[in-house]
Amino acid sequence: MTFDPVAYASAALAGPLLLVLAAFCCLLLPLFFKGLRGVQGMISLGAVLVALAFFRHAPPAQLALFSGALQVSPLSAYLWAFAMGVLALFIALSLARPPAPEGSEGEYYFLAFMAVIGLLVMMAAGDLFTAFIALELLSLPVYALAGIRRSKPGIEAAYKYFMLGAFGSGMTVMGIAVLNALYPSLDFVSLKAAAPADPLALAGFLLVMSGFAFKTALVPFHMWVPDAYEGAPTQVSAFMGAAVKAGGVVLLWRVFSLFDGGPVREIFWWLTVITAVFANLAALGQSGLKRLLAYSSVAHAGYIAVAFFGGTRGWEAVLYYLPVYAMATIGAFGVTLILEKDEKGPKIEDLAGLGRTRPWLAAAMAAFMFSLAGVPPLAGFFAKFYAFSGAVAGGYTSLVVIAVIMSAVSVFYYLRVTVIMYMKPAPAEAAAEPRPTGLAEAVVFLMAAGVLAAGLLSRPLLALAAEAARWF
Amino acid sequence: MELLTNPLSLTVLLPALAGLGIFAIPRGNAAALKGYALAASLVIFALSLRLWAGFNPDLAAMQFALDKPWLPSFGISYSVGLDGISLLMVLLTTFLMPVSVLASFNYIKESPRAYYAALLFLEAGMVGVFAAADLFVFFLFWEAMLIPMYFLIGVWGGPRRVYAALKFFIYTMAGSVLMFAAILWVAAAHHTATGAWTFNIPALYAGALTVQAQFWLFAAFALAFAVKVPLFPFHTWLPDAHVEAPTAGSVLLAGVLLKMGVYGYLRLAVPMFPQAAQTFAPWLAGLGVVGVIYGSLVAWSQRDMKKMVAYSSVAHLGTVMLGVMAFEPAAVAGAVLQMVNHGLSTGALFLLVGVLYERRHTRLIEDYGGLAKVMPGFAAVFMIVTLSSVGLPGLNGFIGEVLVLFGSFRVYPWLAGAAVAGVILSAVYMLGMYQQVVFGPLRHTENKILRDLDLREWLYLLPLLVFIVLIGVRPNPFLRPVLPAVNAYITLSGARPAPPSPAVNIAVGGEERK
Repeated sequence: MTFDPVAYASAALAGPLLLVLAAFCCLLLPLFFKGLRGVQGMISLGAVLVALAFFRHAPPAQLALFSGALQVSPLSAYLWAFAMGVLALFIALSLARPPAPEGSEGEYYFLAFMAVIGLLVMMAAGDLFTAFIALELLSLPVYALAGIRRSKPGIEAAYKYFMLGAFGSGMTVMGIAVLNALYPSLDFVSLKAAAPADPLALAGFLLVMSGFAFKTALVPFHMWVPDAYEGAPTQVSAFMGAAVKAGGVVLLWRVFSLFDGGPVREIFWWLTVITAVFANLAALGQSGLKRLLAYSSVAHAGYIAVAFFGGTRGWEAVLYYLPVYAMATIGAFGVTLILEKDEKGPKIEDLAGLGRTRPWLAAAMAAFMFSLAGVPPLAGFFAKFYAFSGAVAGGYTSLVVIAVIMSAVSVFYYLRVTVIMYMKPAPAEAAAEPRPTGLAEAVVFLMAAGVLAAGLLSRPLLALAAEAARWF
Repeated sequence: MELLTNPLSLTVLLPALAGLGIFAIPRGNAAALKGYALAASLVIFALSLRLWAGFNPDLAAMQFALDKPWLPSFGISYSVGLDGISLLMVLLTTFLMPVSVLASFNYIKESPRAYYAALLFLEAGMVGVFAAADLFVFFLFWEAMLIPMYFLIGVWGGPRRVYAALKFFIYTMAGSVLMFAAILWVAAAHHTATGAWTFNIPALYAGALTVQAQFWLFAAFALAFAVKVPLFPFHTWLPDAHVEAPTAGSVLLAGVLLKMGVYGYLRLAVPMFPQAAQTFAPWLAGLGVVGVIYGSLVAWSQRDMKKMVAYSSVAHLGTVMLGVMAFEPAAVAGAVLQMVNHGLSTGALFLLVGVLYERRHTRLIEDYGGLAKVMPGFAAVFMIVTLSSVGLPGLNGFIGEVLVLFGSFRVYPWLAGAAVAGVILSAVYMLGMYQQVVFGPLRHTENKILRDLDLREWLYLLPLLVFIVLIGVRPNPFLRPVLPAVNAYITLSGARPAPPSPAVNIAVGGEERK
């Protein structure tokens, strides 16, 4: 079969374009057709599932679209499928317990679609400008989503997230401005070719990277994470953990891989260490489940950053790590959503006796916790194994030693959740019968099956990731 | 399909499948659950007997080997195989399993389905550790086994179970994360040297590592295994875990899990890093002997029977470590046999304490006394097991201890001499406990109505007694398959060229010299 660029491009872009269409349908059509109000969620879910069904095994070729702004390749196909999968789960969770106030479902799903489109562009961006615009297209809707409930914690979360996020974006823009003055072209390929040696360029790259590190939530750019995760609707927190982080990771890797050594790597080494150490220690003291998961997400950003030091092998590992982490996080937030009674989500203590009252839900939650802690045979162990193996092969053993010691610390707080669920008696007063949440439970059990299977049967996913990584 | 037709692989995977299968039985049907768990563990034991029957005791190579590529890009394959040492360990595991299941019938009332599932998953993990011939697979089983054990202690344990379960998990995990990093380093170094990724254990034996690298790698492995053994001073999780665990948990913890630490030295730490092992060996042997004396002294001062047995484990495993680190055929073979012996006799002791606890709900020594009058059968069994534990000639403990002490005396005369003190001490505290519990007047009225052993209890104690006596009088069938593996271990450790096979013909227990 001969390679037909037009067919390839249209096949690749059909999914994202469908999402754009669905976004506007959700926002505008209900204005004219009253019958469509309240069913935007179903429309969105249908649209995403159709878009996912469009995915075929991408032909092994890279295609530069829009004068190189978008690079479509098996890599982008892999990441896009991942992003749309996360979106589908996010919509399913939102359908199970609508977070948006009555009447604003249209905006809610529109914003979600816009954020994901930003994410898709970000993942395939061929130059820094496109990456930045995509970053903003991702961020702005998520700020609004965090505050969609217009309640006090929600607004606080949105406000903090927005202020710090804007600060991060500002840094990125400044960095891009510096680099723009120094280099003729800002696409990643020519940046790689031009050896960045002078201090001004270095400052520019560091500014850009710190902006991206905000999204990835590396310490010390993580300050927004606990508050935003706690105050935002739980579905949005899950989205932030699974999708927004992934976008940041991709961009960070793009910039990081421009350097073969030198100060950028050294600084990044320190960022990684600080993230792994600080996040895990901070998580030890958390009592709210959502805050715990927030710090855990920061810690996992650190582990992913360790994989960066493993070269191409490490990048493969990152591509495997992202879906595995996303499954455990979405699952854990799904359980949180099922159990939550107020906006800030349950305390860890509120899970007491869950092993007895809802054994399957507790088993799923335990699977997520063990996966996040990296205990075999769950997928999280394999992800950590791949991530760290590249770094050790690259000679960064001390980094890996720090990371594994901190992941031993993390075992403590993940285990605490299982201790409370299984070894503490349920509270005396009869728990109010929770609202029916069949769809949320479906998501949770799907994710649990995922973390159980993706590890022992990681060969196909790993093969896909390896194939995608080659197209970087 | 080969995964299930290879007898060894089947023994690894069947417990996990059986553990999943138990969820098909309705939650409330306790009788069916018990029957299913017992039948499953018996079938698995019968399968493992096929391994014993088909094992060629004269070969040092891995038998029943199966090597299926699993994650080829990382050089990981699902690779299993047995040598003499792992054969005994696998059999010990599958043998103790039906015993543990049977011992849990009355004790476990709460969520029995999850309990038996956890036991079966635990068995899969334990057999997997001993059968693994791939470093990644080994680590996978090594860590995966923590989850069921953690729940066994934490959910079905005694009053301080949460503390004990957390301590167990965190100690073991903290011990093994550095091993995780070390495994990655070994594989990466092998890749640098040969250009190929592999986690195959025999392939890694030949690794050309610098002495400096070996030092750190051995330290990382040794730490993980030292926590598990447990070597003094890494033993503090053990008394808590043992005391709080349900009886079956204690039996498996003492009987099998502790052996995994020693097995780690035998299979991985020493053969992979022989030069570092030579440096560390006297220290590890010394820590073993410290454990013998310290464990015995602490055991002596205990009032709780289960705690006493737990500390006696520290002492026994100290002896085993002394033997393993002597790199002397008799000592190493004795240590391997002693691992089995300890599994049998300490397992039996935990079962007997469990028998008392189920009747009286106390484990304090002073709450008993004069049990010989009301429970004669119990007293007799307890006597045999106690004597086996202190190493009376004619019972299994004697063979192992004597081989270890004789063998290691040629290498570490002072350490072996000190370890003898431990043997004496163990007689002091074990017999002291036996005397206070079984003899004397019946001081407590509650004890006057205690039932003697019932049929179920006889059923799970008798097989243990049979092997305690059998190994005591005819140890050679058990030693013979071990010797080639022991010689291979000594060769790999590089201590000295292994003597030709006839020179290590250990003839004890009345066997004819060949």
